[in-house]
Amino acid sequence: MTENIIEVQNLTKIYDEGDVLAVDNINLTLKKGEIFALLGPNGAGKTTTISMLATLLKPTEGTALVNSHNIEEDPDMVRKSIGVVFQEPSLDGDMKAWENLELHAILYGMSKKERRQKIKEVLKLVDLENKAEMYAKNYSGGMKRRLEIARGLIHNPQVLFLDEPTLGLDPQTRRKIWEKIKELNEGLNMTILITTHYMEEADVLADRICIMDHGKIIALDTSENLKHKLSGDIIEIALEEIKDFSTIQSLISELKKITGIKDVKFGAKSGGGMEDFDFKMPQGMKGVNPQMIQQKMQEIMTDPKKFVRAIKKFPMAKNFFSRAPLHARERIANLFKDNTELLEELPKNMKETILKIHSGEYKEEQKMEQPILTVSCENGSEQLPEIIQKTTTFDSIKIKSVEMHNPTLEDVFLFYTGREIREESSNRTENVKKHIQMRQLRR
Amino acid sequence: MSRTVNSFVKIEGRMRWEAIWILSKRELLAFARNKTRIISSIAQALLFLFIFSGGFFSLDIVIDGQSINPTAFVATGIIAMAILFSGVFGGLGIIRDRMFGFMRELLVAPISRRTLMTGKTLGVALQSLVQCLIMLVISISMGFFGYDLNLIWRTLLLIPIALLFSMGVVGIGLTISTRLTDFQSFGLIQTFLIMPMFWLSGALFAFNNVPTFMQVLMMINPISYGVDIFRFVILGVSFFPFWLDLLVLVLFGAVLIVIGAKSFSKMEIS
Repeated sequence: MTENIIEVQNLTKIYDEGDVLAVDNINLTLKKGEIFALLGPNGAGKTTTISMLATLLKPTEGTALVNSHNIEEDPDMVRKSIGVVFQEPSLDGDMKAWENLELHAILYGMSKKERRQKIKEVLKLVDLENKAEMYAKNYSGGMKRRLEIARGLIHNPQVLFLDEPTLGLDPQTRRKIWEKIKELNEGLNMTILITTHYMEEADVLADRICIMDHGKIIALDTSENLKHKLSGDIIEIALEEIKDFSTIQSLISELKKITGIKDVKFGAKSGGGMEDFDFKMPQGMKGVNPQMIQQKMQEIMTDPKKFVRAIKKFPMAKNFFSRAPLHARERIANLFKDNTELLEELPKNMKETILKIHSGEYKEEQKMEQPILTVSCENGSEQLPEIIQKTTTFDSIKIKSVEMHNPTLEDVFLFYTGREIREESSNRTENVKKHIQMRQLRR
Repeated sequence: MSRTVNSFVKIEGRMRWEAIWILSKRELLAFARNKTRIISSIAQALLFLFIFSGGFFSLDIVIDGQSINPTAFVATGIIAMAILFSGVFGGLGIIRDRMFGFMRELLVAPISRRTLMTGKTLGVALQSLVQCLIMLVISISMGFFGYDLNLIWRTLLLIPIALLFSMGVVGIGLTISTRLTDFQSFGLIQTFLIMPMFWLSGALFAFNNVPTFMQVLMMINPISYGVDIFRFVILGVSFFPFWLDLLVLVLFGAVLIVIGAKSFSKMEIS
C-alpha cells in the first residue's frame, strides 16, 4: 500500500462547449489522513477537478489514481472508495432522513445488517439521531449539510470529498461543520479533500492548501509556509476620496523609495463574492428557498440572454445592479463583451455603466471614490511612521484609517495572482481560447 | 461536441436487483405520500368519467356488430388514459431529480446507468398501475361495467397488460426528460405531445365514428392500441384484433425503452 491515497497526473479538462479550459495539466498527491484544501475563486476549476476524481467527468488528458484505482479504468472501485458531498444539495426532500441514508447504503451494495448499524453510527456522528424520522426537506441548511456528510460516510470510504461544504451557511453553522470535519479527520483518520473559496476555511481546516486559479495550481504548501513566504507585515491605508490620480502615483513612487518597503499596490476597496451580495428577500416571500434563488442568480450571471430577460421581468433587479459591488458589476459587464447588441435591450443607465466598464474608465472612477493603498514591508512597526509622514506631505490626500496585520492567505493569493481572490479577470476567455488553439495545434 | 457528450466515465456491469428495487420503491413512496397528487389524479379521472360518459350517453357505439354502453366505453378509455398521463409525467420526474440535485447522488453511486433506468422505469410503471387499478375499482363499484364475476379475472389480466403499456409511455417521459433541464417546456409537451396522443387514442370516441383522416392518425398513434387492448380485456370487444394490439405495444415498449436507455446513458450532469 502506498502512502498516497490520491495521485493526480497531468489532469486536464477542456469543455468543448464554449471552449473552456477548466483544468490545466495539474499534478498533485494526497497523503493518507490529511485534510487537503483546493482554494480558488469561483470558476478556478476546483469542482471540475473533484468531478473528475469522483468519476463523474472524463478527463480530456491525464489521469488519476484514487485509492490505487484508476479513475477511468476502474470507476466502480473508485466510487466505492470515496464519499462525495456536492456543492449543491443532493438530498431527496420527499424522503425521510434515514431513508436517504438507506437508499445510499443499498446503492453501495451493503447488507441489511451492515446498513442498520452504520446508519445509526453516522447519524450519531453528525448529531442527527433524533431527527432521523424528519423529512429531509424540513431540515435546515446546516442539518442538510451534516446529513449529506453522514451519507458520504456510510459505505466506509477511504477519502471524503467535500465540495464547498459551507457555501451559503451562516457563520455559526459554518463553525459547527468545521468542527465536524476536524472530528472526522482526527477521530476516524479520514482523508478529506475539500474545495473552498473561503480563505478562512482553508486556513482553519487544511493541513495543506493548494491554490488554484484558471485551472492551474499556483501554490501548494501548508498554510504556515505559504504565509511565511510573505515575511513581514502588510499595511493597508484607506484614503478619503481623491480628485487627482497623478498625486497618488507620485505618492506611490515616494513610498517605494523607503527602505524596507517591498511593494505598494493601489486599488478600490473590494466587496465580497457573489454569495455575499446584499440580497434581501422581499417580505411575504418566505416560502422561497434561498438556495434556489442563488442557483438562479448563478444561472443568470452566466448567460447574457437570461440576464436581459431577468432585468425585464423584475424591475427590482435594476436597483440591485446599481448596489452591487464593483467586481460583480464587472462580471456582468463581461457577460456582454461578446454580445454588445444585447446591451440595447437594457435600461439606459445600466447600458452606459457597462460600456464604461468595457472601456476601463469605470474602474478608475471607483478607485478614486474608495481608494486604498496596500503596502507590504519587512517590518511594519519600523516603517509605518515614515509611511504616514510621507503620505501627509501631500495636501490633497487624507488618510481615513490605517491597518497593519501579518500576511493572511488573502495576501498570499494577492501575491501569487496579483489580484484579490474574488475578482474576476476580464481577459480570461481570450487567454483560454489562445491556449486551446495552441493545444489543438500541438496535437 | 461529440467528446462532450461522452465525457463522463461509464460504469459497466450487471444490473443490481436490490438497487432497482429501492429505486422503484422511492417512486412508489413519493406517490403514496403525495396526497394532493393522488386526490387530484383521481378527481380528474372521475370528472372525465362523469362528464364524458354523460355527454356521450345518447351516442350509439357499435363495435363488431355489438352495441356498447357508452359509459363503459368511455370508462375504459379514461382508465387507459391514467397510464398515459402518470407514465409520461412520472418519466419527466427525472427533470425534478436533476434540478434538485438528487440525480448527482445517483450518478456517483457505483451502479450502472442501466440499473438506474430500470429502477426508475419500474417504479413509474408500478405507480401508473396503482392509479389505473384505483380507477378500475371505482368504475366497477359504480356499476359502469355492470356487475359480473368475470370482472375479477379481467382485472387480474389487466395488470400485466397495463405494465406492458406503461413501458413505452414511461420511455417517452424518460427520453424527453433527459433532454430538458427545466420545467419551462412542460406546457409545450402537454400541448403538443400528450394531448394529441390522448385525443387521438380513441379513449373518448369510437374509431368507426370519425372521418377517415382521423382514423389514419389514430392508427399511427401507438396509444390507440393501448386503449383498444384495455377495451378488449375489460369489455371483451375491440376495433383491432388482440394480437395486433399486443404486437404494437410490445414493439412500442421495446423501441422507446431502447431510445430512453440511450438518452439516459448520454445524459450529462449539469
